[in-house]
Amino acid sequence: MSAVIEGKGGFRAWLNKRMPVDQFVADQLTGYYAPKNFNVWYFFGSLALLMFVMQIVTGIFVTMHFKPGDATAWDSVQRMVREVPYMWLIQPMHAVGASFFFIVVYLHMARAFLYGSYKAPRELLWLIGMLIYLALMAEAFMGYVLPFGNMSYWGAQVIINIFGTIPGIGPDLVEWIRGDYGIGDATLNRFFSLHVVALPFIIALLVALHLVALRQVGSNNPDGIEIKEKLGPDGKPIDGIPFHPYYTLKDIVGVGLFLTLFAIVLFFVPTFGGLFMESPNFEPANPVSTPEHIAPVWYFTPYYAILRAVPNQRIGALLMALSIMAFLFLPWLDRAKNKSMRYRGFASKVLLGTFFVAFLMLMWLGLKPADPLYVVLARICTALYFAFFILLPFVSRADGNGPVPERVTYHAH
Amino acid sequence: MSDHAADAAVPEVDESRRKFLIAATAGTGAVGAVLTAVPFLASWNPSESARAAGLPTEIDLSKMEPGQMTTHFWRKKQIYVVKRTPEMLASLTSHDGELKDPKSEESDQPAYARNEARSLRPDVLVLIGTCTHLGCLPKTRFTPGDATVMANWPGGFFCPCHGSKFDLAGRVFEGSPASVNLVVPPYSFEGDNKLIIGVDPAAQKGAA
Amino acid sequence: MPIKFASVAAAFALLLGAGAVSADEGGHAGWQRQADNEIGNLPSLQRGARNFMAYCSGCHSLRFMRYSRLAEDLKIPDDQRDQFLVPASKKFTDYLVSSMPTKDAAEWFGRAPPDLSLVARSRGSDWIFNFLTSFYADPASRQTGVNNLQLPGTAMPHVLASVQGVQNAVWRNEEQPGPDGKPIATRVFEKFEPGVVGSMAPEQYDEFVRDTVNFLQYVGDPTQLEREGLGIWVVLFLLMFTGIAYMLKKEYWKDVR
Repeated sequence: MSAVIEGKGGFRAWLNKRMPVDQFVADQLTGYYAPKNFNVWYFFGSLALLMFVMQIVTGIFVTMHFKPGDATAWDSVQRMVREVPYMWLIQPMHAVGASFFFIVVYLHMARAFLYGSYKAPRELLWLIGMLIYLALMAEAFMGYVLPFGNMSYWGAQVIINIFGTIPGIGPDLVEWIRGDYGIGDATLNRFFSLHVVALPFIIALLVALHLVALRQVGSNNPDGIEIKEKLGPDGKPIDGIPFHPYYTLKDIVGVGLFLTLFAIVLFFVPTFGGLFMESPNFEPANPVSTPEHIAPVWYFTPYYAILRAVPNQRIGALLMALSIMAFLFLPWLDRAKNKSMRYRGFASKVLLGTFFVAFLMLMWLGLKPADPLYVVLARICTALYFAFFILLPFVSRADGNGPVPERVTYHAH
Repeated sequence: MSDHAADAAVPEVDESRRKFLIAATAGTGAVGAVLTAVPFLASWNPSESARAAGLPTEIDLSKMEPGQMTTHFWRKKQIYVVKRTPEMLASLTSHDGELKDPKSEESDQPAYARNEARSLRPDVLVLIGTCTHLGCLPKTRFTPGDATVMANWPGGFFCPCHGSKFDLAGRVFEGSPASVNLVVPPYSFEGDNKLIIGVDPAAQKGAA
Repeated sequence: MPIKFASVAAAFALLLGAGAVSADEGGHAGWQRQADNEIGNLPSLQRGARNFMAYCSGCHSLRFMRYSRLAEDLKIPDDQRDQFLVPASKKFTDYLVSSMPTKDAAEWFGRAPPDLSLVARSRGSDWIFNFLTSFYADPASRQTGVNNLQLPGTAMPHVLASVQGVQNAVWRNEEQPGPDGKPIATRVFEKFEPGVVGSMAPEQYDEFVRDTVNFLQYVGDPTQLEREGLGIWVVLFLLMFTGIAYMLKKEYWKDVR
């Protein structure tokens, strides 16, 4: 091993004089201590990064053949998957990848709820993450419009019209977003530019800031304690282990498992029963024919269900916006001393569990037509959703202030 | 509870097992990465649309006058088709000494065009109209004796970009920046008057 | 750790099953059947191609499918392709576009016959199968003389009448709650009865339609079989990689106590 390094000694020294490579590795990898008690919920950050890279790479290749424009977009997608070698695989990778990206992101966010990862000193980390989430939603929405299938068209129609409910500026805003009196060439082309150029840059920048913020405060853990408070004789946290090699190797296993699941879906059920690639989008955009059920893709449906639950369009839109904004206040709504749910009382666990169930129910309801029974359920779940944020300050203060554990719980694995 | 067994005996680190597993993981990962790159790189190959557009081009020779040249497109390349007169053919024998590659040994043409006339049939010349120097379109200078090209000009092509000169079989003259003769594409005839660019003679139809 | 892994895997498998089955299914009415076509059955696909060219291509295009691609995938030799598939006016690399002018068709039928390249993906094989098998005589209310259970009020005439014949629909009257809750007499479909006889028996016709649906499913997703074949190898490779990576991880994590 050392002989190899010595052989590189010349080049390595040359490189390090000009760029702090070894320093970086020592600081960020072998010298960065992460809590040793990470569990399965801690895979999703690195998986999110993997999906970001995958979407960029597949997106680059899809863009080589996609022709933005209301007359050419739909055809260009069909021709590319049928006529360009291997695009039958790469284009679905991009479409399925978008859904997997959101699965990973939602699980990544869920971890924060379970272990209080949004609490001080990680509020800014959480806020940057929320900005990434918002940017990702915009990116996915615009990406879905690009193929200009019938659901692309009508989904865009519905979502853009929501902006019309803003008092005063609404209708003008809608026209400004569209660039035309209806959804068409202008809208498609600007969405293309934003989706391919602007938003990927913004998301990449936000991800970099997210990682810098994480590095600054260090990672939280399932026991919710700050490992930096207990240092060993070597000056390193006694409950911490170097990120490299322990978490680099563990994350590689996570990547392998995740890619296996991704491959199973991509190769065998890419439409995932119409959830990942919706049937109406296999027809070109038709301004005079709406699909039977207009629904956004599954990752937007919780908020769509909240929008539809309210009989008044304006208030529904407001409530929908609030439901997303509510996440931003989480670090300050949560008043418990114990970050992790493990050490909070039964009430806190029930409250969080109810929120998760309500969120998943809303996701399911948003996919369904607005039948009377579903509307009633959506209203109940919307109430439960907001109840979580309203009750959190009280419940967290009531049973989240028990004794904070001294050390992490770790079982060898 | 958890195992904070910091005081327990630390087992020996099996370095060789670790090295083996690192190699196995890295090796498999590298193979996977290469295999993953294959579809992406392969997507750059010509698509079915490109291949459909690159099908052989058929040209009707019956309307061509002797001494006339027509231009066509095949696989995004300009093709020159010349109906050569007997005089044009006669002019090919007189200047072998002034040519860089009179026998077309270094140049690019199908086997059936590796003759003095560089063609399957002497009366029809088929060339790719791209100068073998840096790719400009050579202009026709079919009139023999045209002193503006050079002394004792037998007739042929002149490239305006850097002055390369070619005879009526596309062979390059000494003194030209180009070093090889103009390229002859694959072609064949169907009957007397149909020229098919892109298919060799006696090959399967549609195989080029 | 093994329990966590098992539960994650189980949850995923459940989601997979639910996802793959649920969202598209729309709920089958009693009379609706499944297409049951086998995409890997090459003779069936070839027959379907023949059926399509004979009965459908007059009005319906498959504008994303080239004759050459069709012949290659369905293993139809070049000479048969040129003789039976490619019309005289077209090149073998051309797309399958019907010669019926769209504007005129819209005038004649009220609606231009749609392109069918992706109908198997937008409507599904079962829908097409039920559409083609549920035409019935309805001279009273339809100009074409036929109506359709899967798509009531369809503008399409029963092009396959010579093959299937024209069946009659038997209805019964039922009292069903109306929009205001009060019972209204509604007509409910009961079953089909043979009417005008065609050249094929019902089971034969079902096979005929099945082949055609099979062909349309192939046209909608020509690389399905290739994708699934490649997928097996990819998944196996990834499982192997994950296994090796896991052993490496375990080896190093012995250090952590």
